Amino acid sequence: MRACWCVVAMMVLAGCGNEPPALTIAINAGVEGDALKAAAAEWGARNRTRVDIVELPYANLFEKELLDLTSRTGAYDIIMMDDPWFPRMAENGQLAPLEKQPDADFLTSCLDVCREPYSTGAFYALPYVGNSQLFFYRKDLFDKHGMAAPATWSEVLAAGKKIGAAEKMFGYVMRAAPGNAVITDFMPLFWAFGAEMFDSSGRASVASPEAIECVRFMLELGKYSPPGYTGFNADEVSGHLLQSTAVMSINWPAWIAAMDDPARSKVVGKIAFTQVPSAGRKGVAELGAWLLAIPAGSKNKARAADFLFWATTPEQMKEAALRGNPPTRRSVFLDPELRARFRAFPAQLASLETARPRPRTPLWNEIENAFGIRISQANAGSISPQEALQRANQEIEAIVQRAK
Amino acid sequence: MIRNLQRSLPGVPWVAPAVLLLLTLTIYPLIYSVKVSLTGPAGFSLAHYARLVQDRFFLQALTQTLLYTAVALSIEFVLGFALALLIDSLAHGRGFFRAGLLAPMLLPPVVVAVIWRLIYNPQFGVLNGMLRGFGVNTSALTWTSGEGSALASVILVDVWEWTPFLFLLLSAGLQALPQEPLEAARLDGASAWQMFRDIVLPMLKPVIVLAILLRAMDLLRIFDQIFILTQGGPGFATETVSLYIYRTAFRFFNFGYAAAMSFLGLALTVAFARSLMKVMRVAR
Repeated sequence: MRACWCVVAMMVLAGCGNEPPALTIAINAGVEGDALKAAAAEWGARNRTRVDIVELPYANLFEKELLDLTSRTGAYDIIMMDDPWFPRMAENGQLAPLEKQPDADFLTSCLDVCREPYSTGAFYALPYVGNSQLFFYRKDLFDKHGMAAPATWSEVLAAGKKIGAAEKMFGYVMRAAPGNAVITDFMPLFWAFGAEMFDSSGRASVASPEAIECVRFMLELGKYSPPGYTGFNADEVSGHLLQSTAVMSINWPAWIAAMDDPARSKVVGKIAFTQVPSAGRKGVAELGAWLLAIPAGSKNKARAADFLFWATTPEQMKEAALRGNPPTRRSVFLDPELRARFRAFPAQLASLETARPRPRTPLWNEIENAFGIRISQANAGSISPQEALQRANQEIEAIVQRAK
Repeated sequence: MIRNLQRSLPGVPWVAPAVLLLLTLTIYPLIYSVKVSLTGPAGFSLAHYARLVQDRFFLQALTQTLLYTAVALSIEFVLGFALALLIDSLAHGRGFFRAGLLAPMLLPPVVVAVIWRLIYNPQFGVLNGMLRGFGVNTSALTWTSGEGSALASVILVDVWEWTPFLFLLLSAGLQALPQEPLEAARLDGASAWQMFRDIVLPMLKPVIVLAILLRAMDLLRIFDQIFILTQGGPGFATETVSLYIYRTAFRFFNFGYAAAMSFLGLALTVAFARSLMKVMRVAR
């Protein structure tokens, strides 16, 4: 009997030490999440409270978070989300509106995607990672061949042909695996050629003459890409740059550090970063910001808001930048210490200021999938650019109509 | 009847937890998913099932799943059976070969897919590297990235990993066969082919049907290898029903349509299993 009481007492004592966490944060497993994880640990220590981190791979993060939001379980107090997910996550009052307005130091392109409706509505998130695409190119080879950084897509093609042939390299490397990968690399080209996903009345318009011209150009560029590029994702694209087998590509800031890491790269100091090239229209990068938001079902909203605003202060964002995250505040991009340390910061700021988000619709995942399949098929040569875009247009329109 | 009920009452508390668990984790979700598949925006609806026959992506995914299953199963069966007969005929070293052949099957499918993704890399992969070493021009050999070669490439991975499963079952079946009929046939002067056709094959039929059934059910819901190797691409060339269901449910969050696809997949699997059993009964 005495032994039983001992066991009960031990269980009670163990239970006391196992108090519920003050905050539970769902983060992306990767460099973007690592900085937030460190910030959460610091905030927890400072407030003498427990912060639980639920680290999930990118492929599962969306489904876990959306399941929590739709069922309002309150499993997470803060969620980290890729900005294209925001329209889906913010619908039906699934996110808690922010009670304070973010200050003007945040870049407008990053703040606009935190509002519902886009750029005009209330704030439901704060931007934490300022990701937008950059154009990576081999400056040493461009200098060797007396060429300036490519400002237009025709210059990219010409340089790809010339340098590729002379150096026995692939002139360009494209990310073209089906779905998100191919569309991510395709959108800057699509916009530069003057094409749009939807017309002014909201109907799908991806089969326009500009879009067809754009796909034809992409196939031409594909001739100077490595074989099998239709299955490439970010790691294969970066692998070709790192191994010095390709001259140029569109890429994300997360890969900048790898390019200058002697342990991983054969091109240390040889890659330069510039804006996405233009065509009929000025080139703009695609935005891929990571946002922080509070689910409406959270039981710790006040504390979560406290953490959210603390983690995005200029001081904390500088810490996050030192840990590898591109900031979303102008003042952090202009910080002299960071500028001296990160040579791509000027190009990143310029890209982020004009970056364009993916179309703001809760149906984006489905639209991107359908569009991605057809663009991938065009890349693989199984259907013509015109057929690919006409089919994509029908399918996107069907998705939109079905949701009405 | 009342007496029977009274007699079984003491057992109820022992069985109740298992029944409760089954109801909670299996029966309720099943009923709920039927309900979800039959629910449209305005209540009860067959819209999800009607959409199945018009959805070009689903029909292509279904065709590819059936093709994948048929081709992979045929190759795995033929190879597995041949290996089982070969190893069974060995006088020595059966255990060694059996253990060695089972190795691919013991690896997690995700690990296998990641390894093969590296092997298939057109530029840096071992396969093209070896072929280049033999002087082969590999510029057109894009394996999982080529529209024409992607499905064959993922089937090859499946064959590599799961042929040992069929080998294992058929090998166990061969070992369990009674030796007397074979001895008698040998004494009567039957050839090896006659013994195989008229004795081994008929006696092994239940094992063959079981092996085909188990492997076919697994192949019809193939997901992990393709998800890692090709993500259904290039284009839609290797998309299977399971992959499309996953995307519909967890990327597009359309659970009703995903449930409808799942039930159709289930119906096809059950129909296949029943027809296979029928074939076996007729053959008997």
